[in-house]
Amino acid sequence: MASIEFRSVTKRFGNTLAVDEASFRVEDGEFFCFFGPPLSGKSTILRLVLGLERPDSGEILFDGRPVNTVGPAERNVAMVFQNLALFPHLTAENNVKFPLIERKIDPATIGKRVGEVAEKLHITHILHKFPAHLSGGERQRVAIARALVRDPVAYLMDDPISALDARLREETRVELKRIQADLGRTLIYVTHDQEEAMSVADRMAILEGGKIRQIARPADAYDRPASDYVARLLGAPMINILDATAVGDAIELAAGAISLPSAAVPKGTTRVGVRPENLGIVPGSDATVFEVEPLGGFTVVTLQAGAERMRALLRGQPRVEPDSRVGLAVDPAAVHFFAADGQSLARPGT
Amino acid sequence: MRRPIAFEVFRYAAIALAVAITLVPIAWMTSMAFKPTAEWQATGANLTWWPKSPTLDNFRFIFGQSSTALIVALERTAAKPILSSLLSAGFGTLIAMGAGTAAAYGLSRFKAGGNLPLALLQLRLFPPMAVMIPVMVMWTFLKLNDTWFGLALIYGIVTLPFAFWLMKTFFDDFPREIEEAALVEGCSRFRVFLKVTLPMMAAPLASSALFVFILNWSDYLIALLLTNREWATIPVYMASLSSSMTGQLYGAKAALGLIAAVPPVIAGIAIQRHLVRGLTFGALKQ
Repeated sequence: MASIEFRSVTKRFGNTLAVDEASFRVEDGEFFCFFGPPLSGKSTILRLVLGLERPDSGEILFDGRPVNTVGPAERNVAMVFQNLALFPHLTAENNVKFPLIERKIDPATIGKRVGEVAEKLHITHILHKFPAHLSGGERQRVAIARALVRDPVAYLMDDPISALDARLREETRVELKRIQADLGRTLIYVTHDQEEAMSVADRMAILEGGKIRQIARPADAYDRPASDYVARLLGAPMINILDATAVGDAIELAAGAISLPSAAVPKGTTRVGVRPENLGIVPGSDATVFEVEPLGGFTVVTLQAGAERMRALLRGQPRVEPDSRVGLAVDPAAVHFFAADGQSLARPGT
Repeated sequence: MRRPIAFEVFRYAAIALAVAITLVPIAWMTSMAFKPTAEWQATGANLTWWPKSPTLDNFRFIFGQSSTALIVALERTAAKPILSSLLSAGFGTLIAMGAGTAAAYGLSRFKAGGNLPLALLQLRLFPPMAVMIPVMVMWTFLKLNDTWFGLALIYGIVTLPFAFWLMKTFFDDFPREIEEAALVEGCSRFRVFLKVTLPMMAAPLASSALFVFILNWSDYLIALLLTNREWATIPVYMASLSSSMTGQLYGAKAALGLIAAVPPVIAGIAIQRHLVRGLTFGALKQ
């Protein structure tokens, strides 16, 4: 078990800056998630932790000890690769055994450990099969079993369940969270799926172009995004980012459809973020209903006001007709303010 | 999409023609190998596809039994040349595959060796004749002349570029994550190569080795220059199957040719399963 720390780690590939001055500390036993769009540096950070890449500058520490020059085998970190990387010439059982055999564990212990892990992941009945004869979900479990079977300082997973269908993905991520809690081990998890990141992580780091933009608990990152970039990445449907215009004593959004008192808006605000669930519909004629998507428990209403288009997430299945005129209601306390450079601005009086 | 019938007919006709052109000489050689002297010496209207009285005389002849119809007796039998060919082509293939695979792996993974690929390619741009005379001098000096291992060594060197380039392509295509997984799971670089990469590369290795073996097996020029007597190979020995009294001994040559075709064919059948790619299926998510 270990904490994992990066101090201003930079990694370049040729002219591409893959990781830019990354600093973070994953605590012992934490479920830590790296989240960002493709090519934001998530996978490179994992490879740096694994020792498959060496940083160009900066320090990597396990439990306070620098490991920059330590090779992958000696770092004792277990990994589930994005494409699983099962050994096709070995059966599922020998795949799971592989790390133990390479570490010269005695056969009796190997048998016991493999049995336990196989049971935990419900793969006992497929252990004799080769990867080519397994379904996507089964391969996934075998790959996870191979990582769980030994006693590493930390587990790393690179988007391990992205190939599964939506339902299986939800099941597996809940199970993963459970298993991690039971094991009490450090787990570093990489995903491009905001819902997955939010649902499993104790804390998460949000990346953009190799830079860490924010490290926070998922709920905090959602409620207090550091910038409009973070705000956009978290939450579905996406947050509405609207241009703010000062008109007399008020700040107007979306061609006057929404108006906030100037006193409630921090100085320097150029854009305002309103989460779809904080945008209400009331009788009135502030905006036009563009489209209605009933999702059962919720309804997404897309609204048009002036040049701006925004979405409201309403509970249940309210009766809203396309092309009708509606009024908008916004709780100023639930609104996010952003400066011209995208950084969040604190609400006045807080 | 269904193609027009005329197209299908044309396609199969073309295939049939290609197969026939390929197989006719082999069929003719096979037929001739089993013909008695009078038949393989026949000309014009007396030529037949099937031996009228099939016999193993040609085979007996090259292995030392004198033939009733031929007044000549062979100085040497085919046994030693067959052994020579097997040893030199076999060990030559081992040398080329061993060195070529190691070099290809190193170059594919660590970008070591810089100009090696081009240097190896240059080795093939030389006409072998240009270097064979110096090699003859060197081999004589090293006392490798007219030995099977001297021949195996030069075969290994000459076919090394083929082995290298074939294996490099395969290594370049090899899924990297699988090796990285093995590294993370506790293997040293060498263990990764031994326990993961090589077993998964069985198919490309086998097909490359067969290709290199056939190159070595059918060499004439190098063997002619380097093995003047003792360790002459099948092609060199075959060229000697003639006499001033009988002219070319086509029956004996056909018999020897048939024997020479056996090892590559057996090797091909043995690794047929591996010649089909797709072994890596199931390792990675699609």
